Amino acid sequence: MKENKKELSAREQIKQQEFQKEAVPHINALYNYALHLTMNPDDAEDLVQETYLKAYKFFDSFERGTNCKAWLFKILKNNYINKFRKNAREPGKVDYDLIKDFYHTIKDVQSDTTEAESDFFHSLLHEEVYQALQSLPEEFREVIQLCDMEGFTYEEIANMVESPIGTVRSRLYRGRKLLRAKLEEYARKHGYNTDTEE
Amino acid sequence: MNCNKATVLMSAAIDGELTEKEAEELSGHLADCPECRSEFQEAKNTKIIIRERIVRVKAPRNLVESIVRLTNVTG
Repeated sequence: MKENKKELSAREQIKQQEFQKEAVPHINALYNYALHLTMNPDDAEDLVQETYLKAYKFFDSFERGTNCKAWLFKILKNNYINKFRKNAREPGKVDYDLIKDFYHTIKDVQSDTTEAESDFFHSLLHEEVYQALQSLPEEFREVIQLCDMEGFTYEEIANMVESPIGTVRSRLYRGRKLLRAKLEEYARKHGYNTDTEE
Repeated sequence: MNCNKATVLMSAAIDGELTEKEAEELSGHLADCPECRSEFQEAKNTKIIIRERIVRVKAPRNLVESIVRLTNVTG
């Protein structure tokens, strides 16, 4: 081996180690986010793959000490916009059959172990919660996903969706209000207020 | 603080994103208002249900492997 190749390789190895420690552990979260955006496992895989390629290439620009997961999510979101946005469904137009099919393809992989302790929530099916979330206008759904499912702070979300923190806060408030109404609708169908069995 | 204002603040409160002053005002109101206390509990549950009832899947093995390979170019 030539000397300069060895040097390059040593530097590259440090980068790789750091990347594997910081970025690779977020594959599952990114894949789930990609699935929710694309509703298609193949597209989601492509999106995650491209996100990691780009992230690795530009890893030097990742600000050390900040949230790497948030950085990766932002790359994925930008990729998604460039690649899929023009074919995406329009806000408000929800294909419930698509959601149902999609949900059935992914739901057997993993299930919950903990539940909210409330009859109201016990009456709801997983896919109904998903459907309720998907039925929200995108600007609301997005912030709820990023906040409640991924645990990002308002500041991180604001950076990802390129809006002020106040906007994130108000979208969360309004989105959750809509979501509650949807969930209550489903719960009523299950006879919420009567004894529901799990 | 009235109930309307309290309801608006609840969303950010469950995320721990209120300012200190807002948090104080809200907890002062909640101490006096049983309706808002119950509303606050429901709001918390809504967050929990999204986190817990939406199924999370694992990334396919081949995807994980290809990403690990990507970072192993010299390995």
